[in-house]
Amino acid sequence: MAQVRIVTDSTAFLEEETIERYNISVVPLYVNFENEVILDGSISNAEFFDKMKNATKMPFTSQPSPGDFVKVYEKILEEGDDIVTLVISSGISGTYDSAINAAKLLDIKRIAVVDTTMTSGGLAMLVKEAAEAAAQGKTKEEIVALLEDKKRRLRLFFIPDTLEYLKKGGRIGGAQALLGTLLKIKPVLYLNNGKVETYDKVRTMKKAMERIVDEIPPAKGPFTLTIIHGEAFDTANKMKAMITERFPEAEVIINELSPVIGTHAGPGVVGLCFYAQ
Amino acid sequence: MSCNGHKVVLLGGDDLRDMFLQGTLYFEKHKEAINDLNVFPVPDGDTGTNMALTLQAASRELQSVSTTSSIGEVSRIAARSALMGARGNSGVILSQLFQGIARGLAGKEDARLTELGRAFQYGIVYAYNAVSRPVEGTILTVAREIARGSRIAVQKNINVVDLLGVAIASGKKALERTPDLLPVLKEAGVVDAGGLGLIVFLEGCLQSVSRHSSDEIPLTEGEKATGEFYKYISQDNETVEESTSLQEEFDTRFPYCTELIIRGDDLLLPTLRQQLEPMGDSLLVAGDTGVVKVHIHTANPGSVLETCLACGSIHDIKIDNMLDQFNKTRWSDGEGQPAQGLRTVSAQIETTPQQRKPLMEIGLVAVAAGTGFVDIFESMGADRIVFGGQSMNPPVEDLVNAVLEVNSKKVIILPNNSNVQFAAEQAVKLVDKEISVIDTNSLPQGLAAILAFDRSKSLADNFVEMCLRARQVKTLEVTYATRDAVVNGITVQKDDIIGLADGALLVSGLTINETVLELLRNVLDDQEEQIVTLFYGHDVTESDAGELAQKVEADFPDSEVELQSGGQPLYYYLISVE
Repeated sequence: MAQVRIVTDSTAFLEEETIERYNISVVPLYVNFENEVILDGSISNAEFFDKMKNATKMPFTSQPSPGDFVKVYEKILEEGDDIVTLVISSGISGTYDSAINAAKLLDIKRIAVVDTTMTSGGLAMLVKEAAEAAAQGKTKEEIVALLEDKKRRLRLFFIPDTLEYLKKGGRIGGAQALLGTLLKIKPVLYLNNGKVETYDKVRTMKKAMERIVDEIPPAKGPFTLTIIHGEAFDTANKMKAMITERFPEAEVIINELSPVIGTHAGPGVVGLCFYAQ
Repeated sequence: MSCNGHKVVLLGGDDLRDMFLQGTLYFEKHKEAINDLNVFPVPDGDTGTNMALTLQAASRELQSVSTTSSIGEVSRIAARSALMGARGNSGVILSQLFQGIARGLAGKEDARLTELGRAFQYGIVYAYNAVSRPVEGTILTVAREIARGSRIAVQKNINVVDLLGVAIASGKKALERTPDLLPVLKEAGVVDAGGLGLIVFLEGCLQSVSRHSSDEIPLTEGEKATGEFYKYISQDNETVEESTSLQEEFDTRFPYCTELIIRGDDLLLPTLRQQLEPMGDSLLVAGDTGVVKVHIHTANPGSVLETCLACGSIHDIKIDNMLDQFNKTRWSDGEGQPAQGLRTVSAQIETTPQQRKPLMEIGLVAVAAGTGFVDIFESMGADRIVFGGQSMNPPVEDLVNAVLEVNSKKVIILPNNSNVQFAAEQAVKLVDKEISVIDTNSLPQGLAAILAFDRSKSLADNFVEMCLRARQVKTLEVTYATRDAVVNGITVQKDDIIGLADGALLVSGLTINETVLELLRNVLDDQEEQIVTLFYGHDVTESDAGELAQKVEADFPDSEVELQSGGQPLYYYLISVE
């Protein structure tokens, strides 16, 4: 019987170890600087934000081409396996369309594409669920059903240091209304049906983090959360301390953002992904 | 290329290749103009760049194609390489369009115009299939109209130059309509960037074929075309706004605005809400277990009344047919005709010239004094500011007018002073709008409350959250004593500087700065990270305030200090501590 292989995009920013253990294929998005195109994830975050600071023009990002997916798919299909693809929310990227067009071009019966309505740490959490299910021998259909359920319960909150980057990148969504406020505020944003919306506005970073941690449901036993950040190690660690104090059994993973997401959220951003219920 | 007189009727592989290369070159020149238009699906200004990259990927491959290749082969290579190099949504759609065209031309050595027209139809089918949720008012609409134009044209025995001319013309017509189909374009006052990109590419293609033909070609000079694009960009926003001002609002499926009050014992709001929910929209159920106010737009007021009657006795029943009001407003506007399609109207509010924006569900009125505070409240989303505050309470009339002027069904009032609270409550009784008065007793409390204001939530939810937030902030006031007194065991003399915390006198002193610092020492908790916002008043200079802010920062290193111009009279400083 055909095995199921997992394909995702670079915004999941998976650690090398996970990619190898589950034999996951990652299709990169692009960051386009004025004179240079870099593959998402091909350079470190420190290097990337440095580049961004020194760039005269803001870089823009673009989805992989259908051809990029075709190349990855063709190889897996040749090996006789089925494919489940998990991509960044179609509300903030066109990656889903590229993947689905590639699938249609090849063999739509053997390739599933799931719009996760997530990205970054949230996408990574779903990828791990899918990879684990595939390793247990679940079918393509079973994995898709599992993901449809999980993605609905997954939450992604984040606090950008400034809204400037979201605005420049055109992903500001419902947080648009927060631009131009004269008071210094910390916006708590979230992905709502795959789009950026305002969850709350508070005055300090600490309150903003508390606001997010308050949303974690009471747990009966161990559970996993993912903190995401863009060059904000200190803040991420503070958030981790805040969580473990309240939830001693929580396993807290700290993940950096991929450069593509970093381009839009900006340096200094911190966020949290977890399952509600 | 095979000519019939001056007419090009048969297209070969090299013709298609030249068209493609010329189209790409021409596109490259105009990509920035296209970037500037980009607002959909995400306004990131890269549509032109993405389409250019996609075209370049195809052109690179085509450059090395033999000049004797068939049209089927050329189109296949163009499609395949565009697909591999596709960037962005518009790039992907473009590549699919080529994919379809290639399918239509597959296996052909040359193509007659009818065959070219048919290939284009394939292109449309592929392009629509490319996106999971096709949206009209985009490159898809433009592509479809181009295909329709060319289908009609090929039946008239014309040449390829004319064919492209007709196709471009019908594409342009569709392009001009894109703002009517996609509201986000209308808001921004632009046409669709991807659609324009497709037309630009075809214009480039037309340049290529027209070189081989002696036919007179309009629209081929780069400048002329670019000028035309900028027409879209610099479109007067005023007119656009006017035409959208009547969008939105009430749904003609639910014309009856029904309001009533239920009295009973143990009324269950959530159950009632659940029962009423399917009966219409704009539902509001508010109150307590004894009295409930119901508001709903419905098609069937009878069933609403019945449902309510099952819970208790019903009172103050008011049912309005909003269509009447709608027609009245429209006709009295002097427009002379009924509106096409009843999409619109602000049912209860008379329209004034300032009211261009669509009717909102919830609006916000704040009472404030001081230019700084007015600016801050406006920047945080207040729709109207009523001038007033301590010892200058605004007349009820001002509040009533402000509430009426806000173009919303419901209004939240931030009185921002305990003495204004009463006037606000009077306004509630005088205006036939649903109004919530938040219990804010100071400007800092008002700001804390407005931070929680969320138009997408219900009035009741906003009320609860805003009241809660207002209470979480401490207000400090520094002013001068108007007479000698002993308060809270503190003796003050007339003209002494005094410091109050949440209305209670806490300290007195001789200088403003010392009093501020002393006051902060009394209230700041050194355990907590706090944010101290100093709003300096009308009688304090910016440089004095700056110096004080630095001192506060130095004395209270754990707090985050922010300085703002409040411009308020009477109070040297208003300070919020959160």
